[in-house]
Amino acid sequence: MKKWIAGAALALTAMTGSAMAEGHGDYPERPIMLMVSYGAGGATDFQARIVTMTAGNDDALQMPVAILNKAGAGGRVGWNWFATQAEADGYTLGAYNVPHFIAQSIEGGVDYSVDSFEPIANWGADPAVFVVAADSEFNSMADVIAYATENPGGLTFSGAGLFVGHHIAALQLEKAAGVKLAYIPNNAGGAGAMRAVIAGEVLGGVNNLSDAFRAREAGTVKILGVFDLERNAFLEDVPTMMEQGYDIDNASVNFRGVMVPAGTDPAIIDHLAAVVPTMFENSRVASRMAAGGSPMQIMTRDEVIEMWAQRQETLEELLAGL
Amino acid sequence: MDFLFYMGDVFTPINFGLLLLGTIGGLILGATPGLSPTMTVALMIPFTFKLEPQQGLILLGAAYTSTVAGGAVSAILLKIPGAPANIATTLDGHTMAQKGQGAKALQLSFIASAIGGLFGVFLLIFLTPVLAKWALAFGPSELFWLAILGVTVIGTLDSSSVVKGLLSGCIGLWLATIGFDDIMGAQRFIFHSSVSGGINVIPALIGLFAIPQVITMFAKGRKGTDAEIISVKRHPIGAAFREVFARKRALSIGTAIGSIIGLIPGVGGQIAGLVAYDQSKKISPESAKFGTGHPEGVIAAESANNAMVGPSLVPLLTLSIPGSPTAAVLLGGLLIHGIFPGPTLFTQYPQVVWPFINSMLIGQILMCVFGLLIAGWAANVARVPPAVMAAVVLGLAVFGSYSVQHSMGDVYVMMALGLAMFFLERFGFSAAPLVLGLILGPIAEANFMQGAMIANATVGQMAYFFTGWLNWLLIVIVVVSIGYSIWMELRQRRYTTKEDATA
Amino acid sequence: MTDLPRTQHIVASGLIAGVGLSVAYVSFTQEPAGAFVFPRLISSVFAVLAIWTFIKALLGRTKVGAGISGTEMRNMAPGLAIAIIYIFWAAKALGFYTATTLTFFILLTLYDPAPHGDARTWIKRVLITAGFMAVMYGLFALLLNVFTPKEIFS
Repeated sequence: MKKWIAGAALALTAMTGSAMAEGHGDYPERPIMLMVSYGAGGATDFQARIVTMTAGNDDALQMPVAILNKAGAGGRVGWNWFATQAEADGYTLGAYNVPHFIAQSIEGGVDYSVDSFEPIANWGADPAVFVVAADSEFNSMADVIAYATENPGGLTFSGAGLFVGHHIAALQLEKAAGVKLAYIPNNAGGAGAMRAVIAGEVLGGVNNLSDAFRAREAGTVKILGVFDLERNAFLEDVPTMMEQGYDIDNASVNFRGVMVPAGTDPAIIDHLAAVVPTMFENSRVASRMAAGGSPMQIMTRDEVIEMWAQRQETLEELLAGL
Repeated sequence: MDFLFYMGDVFTPINFGLLLLGTIGGLILGATPGLSPTMTVALMIPFTFKLEPQQGLILLGAAYTSTVAGGAVSAILLKIPGAPANIATTLDGHTMAQKGQGAKALQLSFIASAIGGLFGVFLLIFLTPVLAKWALAFGPSELFWLAILGVTVIGTLDSSSVVKGLLSGCIGLWLATIGFDDIMGAQRFIFHSSVSGGINVIPALIGLFAIPQVITMFAKGRKGTDAEIISVKRHPIGAAFREVFARKRALSIGTAIGSIIGLIPGVGGQIAGLVAYDQSKKISPESAKFGTGHPEGVIAAESANNAMVGPSLVPLLTLSIPGSPTAAVLLGGLLIHGIFPGPTLFTQYPQVVWPFINSMLIGQILMCVFGLLIAGWAANVARVPPAVMAAVVLGLAVFGSYSVQHSMGDVYVMMALGLAMFFLERFGFSAAPLVLGLILGPIAEANFMQGAMIANATVGQMAYFFTGWLNWLLIVIVVVSIGYSIWMELRQRRYTTKEDATA
Repeated sequence: MTDLPRTQHIVASGLIAGVGLSVAYVSFTQEPAGAFVFPRLISSVFAVLAIWTFIKALLGRTKVGAGISGTEMRNMAPGLAIAIIYIFWAAKALGFYTATTLTFFILLTLYDPAPHGDARTWIKRVLITAGFMAVMYGLFALLLNVFTPKEIFS
């Protein structure tokens, strides 16, 4: 496996060699910065640090990647900066979270849209799940929806904020089940939302699969459903929403990956698009990600472009009613 | 007594070497303006990729412990608080350093840190299961009242006039609302692109404390050296120990408040030092001396902000919920090795957890030893001529505030706030209540909004915010605290404290 | 209390009252109202306290705060001007390390009481500047990997 990756990397380097000849032969010649629009310690920050840990290797970028956190307002601060102030010199990369930034750009009030960024590659896909406290009386989504039907607007459930994956999932659930729910956005992100569920402040919550998986291991929550098209390898026993009779697709799945500002030299984009996915495939990266319970999904630049376009369409439709 | 069983693991050559590295590195990075404990621990994470889980966690534990204490060094010597935790330390610590008692201030701060810190870690060792329930008791309504309690502290904190103290606090609370609001995502008061991301606390801290001091040095002009020379007094370490133990009230208030506040998720160590400082000032018979270089101020503040280290990890280790940003970074350090915190952590990975906790115990002691060793030497910073000092602090302020987010906007905000603060200070306002407002604003607002949303969906707002013994306990403390401030104001004792000392 | 501090107090508290009132005005007029509930509360208290302070200053009843004397203003003017140029222009335009070196050296020259005529004074100043910059470079560039704006000479 390792040999195969090394071989592939060599082949790719050879392929990109021609592009590199056009004045970027030495790229990168200094360390590269990766902007993460969430705080140190968050899931995105944690995963970004792992997937870039082998960047300095000879078969990767040959230069280390330093993480820069620009947190605030659900990611808006970082992406605003990335769209307007970051230099498009190939040394400033950014981490994206879909559907977050697309939903925020549709909602308005920010300086970016899908056209402001050029995707490089995707490293992870973290579906949203519905969690309730371990001692909750709810044992399936049907119980939850039954309660919500009896108490319209009275089913409180937490999530990481407005116009992020959790909020999208909440909207989808409301629409698919035809009930009114009370979504409570938490200012302390996914960890705060999870705390609210465990402490019994809210009846349930939408949260990241990776965090929910860990909380279930700790015995503090039950996971009732996955907001994705298929069951997840970490949670083989948890049915999808579709299986439980709610027509919900994977629009809320939190895709994480690397992008550059629009206007970056195409030769640099091509180089990064060729090298970065192989960097994500490194076996050390994969084992660390698996150990932390973070689901990986490596996608190339073309696949990400297509995924962004799809999300833009779905989200415009979903958010039109707000 | 599991922790004693695993004590030996800390003293193997490699582990002890890492412990030393973490302690010394933590002290240096903690003393660097702009580097909060969270960032310091995040910077150490890449080193742990290559280490065994046990070794990695020992490094992180030692670093976490000592960065919190390291922040006191720059707070005392340069009046630049390394992190919000060290704000209260500047109030008396820096005044002591200016009087030539820097060595004493540093010694007191390290000893108080170590005592508070050890107490906190012992709480973590012995009372974790009990404390875990307590950490969950603070929901939106309780956190809201807690933030209001913090606001009531504002009026009496380091200010010679309650009205001006409250006004400073209001300015801070308003500054905190600038930017996108956390819950609705609406834009508020964005009058310049530098503040579009809101005002980051660390650059604001640097500006509010360091810049007025730089300008004050300018205002003294190009004076002869002999007029300004400060004789740095030596201070025997033994006397420092005796002093700390003689001031039991400040030490116990600091330690107790730090341990309790450290436990509450989301509030963390940011306000522990300030609340402890204010409480020991209110209770002390010598309250007039606070702010003029009173040892009790340093002892209360530093014992509080290290006492919170241990308890702040309780929610993480037992419930897998990081209670503070630093705990979130430590969670990352555990996860990369496939270790999931939770109730089974102590039975499944005792060989990792206990050395980690032990490293914080031993780290506290090592930190204290190193601190005491450098204290006498570091205090000589006070002898640096004012011209050099002003230039050094200005340079550090710029680099420090830039390095937080690599943002020029933060540097501009730092300077603008600092300039304004210099003039405000000359008219009786002070920086500490302003910063407290800046920190508490988002906590109070977000929890009020969340509480109101939950309440509207369930029992109604009155019932939500006014039910439960913890809510009522906090409300009673708020009322008492306000009443006490009014009583003090009426007695007119407060007008004399600060001005007499600095005039 | 002399007249100078009294006038200064009136100007200062007047400015703060102005800020307080405009913050209150913005809070009560901006939409969405839901996001401005908390700012409304704060700005009301802010405005009331600021006006109270302003009235006290007008009546000359301010009890704390010594104001700024003329000598102090003359002393701090050059340093302040350099600090402002340094932070708001030079740091970005010239690069952090270039601008800091220049500012550091100029500030030493302006405020260091050692005689300007002595060559040793100048050597000392150059050495102190170089030493400080070495520490800054080592700490922020090498150890912490902080990416500062491009230097003008690079």
